[in-house]
Amino acid sequence: MTLDVVFLFLQQGVASGLVIGSVYALLALAIVVIFKTSDVPNFSQGEMVMAAGYIALYLLVFRSMPLWIVMPATILAAYAGAALFRRLVLNQVARANGSPVNLVIATLGLSYVLRGFVRQTGFGDTPRSFPPVVEPQSIMIGQAAVTTLDLVILATAVVVMAAFFWMFKYTKIGRAMRAVGMNPKAAQLVGVDLTRIHMIVWGLSGGISAIAALLISPKVLMTADMGSIVTLGFAAAIVGGFTSLPGAVVGGFLIGIIENLVGLFISSRAIVLAPFVAIMLVLVIRPQGLFGGRVEIKKV
Amino acid sequence: MKDRITCVWLGAALLAAGLIHSAGAAAQEPGLTEKTIKIGVFSPLSGANMAYGFDVINAAKMYYSKVNKEGGVHGRQIELVIEDDRCNANDLVSAVKKLVEQEQVFMLNGGSCSAAAVAAKDYVVRSKVPWVMLNASADGALYPPTDYIFGAFSITQYAVGGSVVDFGQQHLKAKKIGYINHDDAYGAWNLEAAQVTAKEVDVQLAVESINPNITDVTAPLVKLRAANPDMIAITTYAKPAALIIKKAHELGITKPIVLTVTGTANMSQLVENVGNKDALKNFYVQDVLADAPGGPKIKWVYDMYKEYYPDLDAKPDHPQAYMPYGIAPAMSVVKALQDAGPNPTREKVAENLRNQKFDSGVMAGPIEFGQNDRAAQESTIYLKFDGTQQTLIPGSFQSRWKYKG
Repeated sequence: MTLDVVFLFLQQGVASGLVIGSVYALLALAIVVIFKTSDVPNFSQGEMVMAAGYIALYLLVFRSMPLWIVMPATILAAYAGAALFRRLVLNQVARANGSPVNLVIATLGLSYVLRGFVRQTGFGDTPRSFPPVVEPQSIMIGQAAVTTLDLVILATAVVVMAAFFWMFKYTKIGRAMRAVGMNPKAAQLVGVDLTRIHMIVWGLSGGISAIAALLISPKVLMTADMGSIVTLGFAAAIVGGFTSLPGAVVGGFLIGIIENLVGLFISSRAIVLAPFVAIMLVLVIRPQGLFGGRVEIKKV
Repeated sequence: MKDRITCVWLGAALLAAGLIHSAGAAAQEPGLTEKTIKIGVFSPLSGANMAYGFDVINAAKMYYSKVNKEGGVHGRQIELVIEDDRCNANDLVSAVKKLVEQEQVFMLNGGSCSAAAVAAKDYVVRSKVPWVMLNASADGALYPPTDYIFGAFSITQYAVGGSVVDFGQQHLKAKKIGYINHDDAYGAWNLEAAQVTAKEVDVQLAVESINPNITDVTAPLVKLRAANPDMIAITTYAKPAALIIKKAHELGITKPIVLTVTGTANMSQLVENVGNKDALKNFYVQDVLADAPGGPKIKWVYDMYKEYYPDLDAKPDHPQAYMPYGIAPAMSVVKALQDAGPNPTREKVAENLRNQKFDSGVMAGPIEFGQNDRAAQESTIYLKFDGTQQTLIPGSFQSRWKYKG
């Protein structure tokens, strides 16, 4: 491999990694925000992405609605669906038996329901393309080739993440979410409505999933199994530190770049393995993740 | 006079014994009655890969219907029991077990997905049920040969990989071929034949093996672009193939792209998924039919489909590209049953299949098995495809790979 090729691969790997990594970062953010406030890993996150993608596809392609209606309608639908699931299902499960394991199983149940539903509609019977928000024209950044769509994906993801962090840090709702994450009982004692906050957290997670779906769907073909992409969101969350929102974002970008560099410098076969190797390395070297803070020992 | 009476009694006794023996044979063979013969059919009828089998089964069904209308096989009507294998190994093995054990079929005619079909090999061989595959290549179930499994009516992966290299070298004058395959057994089979053929025709291969579920194909294509091949051969399923063609266009790769028959299940969906007809300016597809789809040699198959499935035919995505592939396996089953005579047994049918040779008139080459060969069809044709029109490329292109036992 000549030095020119090495530089070309480096540039392309980082550029493509940042683009796909921004979507992983969004997914990781959606996973971590739920985990931070309820200690429940949401195993239906991928299917929430998939279902949102199919809602958008249905409205855009089969109902011929304009994009400016489809996008907010999809985000709203995902927000409402996720918030309602928290309110109607998880609250009941939590009330019936306080074990978090039951909540995790309920999220797994939702994933099967969503996948089964999309299969039943027949839309998932063939890999489908989602029309891109902008026509993908090739652009060279140095020697790396990206498309206008890639730039839109990266910019949108960064704006969404920035808006989320602003909301989380500076608004009343955001402060309430943080309080619930730190100590739900204390938050409740000072007047935070736990049910409402949990619904908002799930709704926001659903909304972010919908944005990720709108961004990623034009790049990957849609099938009922496309939710498996969330594995990379989990990888990003673990690498970043499962309780750290900035860690989730950094983890997303890292996983995207690592995937591409491994594919370019080692082997295309190793692309799918790279995130899991990264997880193992992080767990061995720094089990709390890159931004996870100190390991806490809980008294049981 | 006494001798004559004895002879008559003896004759009658022999005839009765014969009849009892025949009835016994029919009774002993599962799925066989005096008037019917039960065949288990399976393929993906739902899920993301239904295009690999849905219309293939429909083609087989219409052929069996035609045979039934013409009187059946030795007076027996063919009865089909159909299962959905969802193109997945677990579902396929369950379907096969259900057909053999619960439905008690006489023989099997199914399978459109190679990796899934291979999973049923051991069970079928143990059960000694003749299995004629539909359009799965399933090389792993065909080599080394067994007494009961017959397949590759469309083509083997060994033929796919070798043939595309031969086409690149002969028609496109390629000296270096960028070769993208799956990183599983399916991909390994076609790559093995591609390497054998490349060595023989003096072509260099730049290989990128990818996971069939890959979502970002930037890395393998940037590497191929850096390798500067004269053409790119794609031997993946349709989903990664669409991503690769799209990305190649985005990266400004203008070299010819050849998509093997593994990824051509739904051409209109492929065009839609690629999303830009400019990406198909220098694009070829491999096929295994005797003519271009809808061409004069195989028009009767499309006419028959229209007659049997007028509602489906009116839909834009039907008949699906692989539809005609269902005819030759059904022909093979019917021929093996006919050759087995009025009292068929599974063993007789399997023996007939092992020696079967006929021209289906539908596939590019003859259907031919041998004592050491369980792959029915090994010929290919190539078509230039611009997103709308398919133009037949004259010439014959062959894999150089041979099973050496």
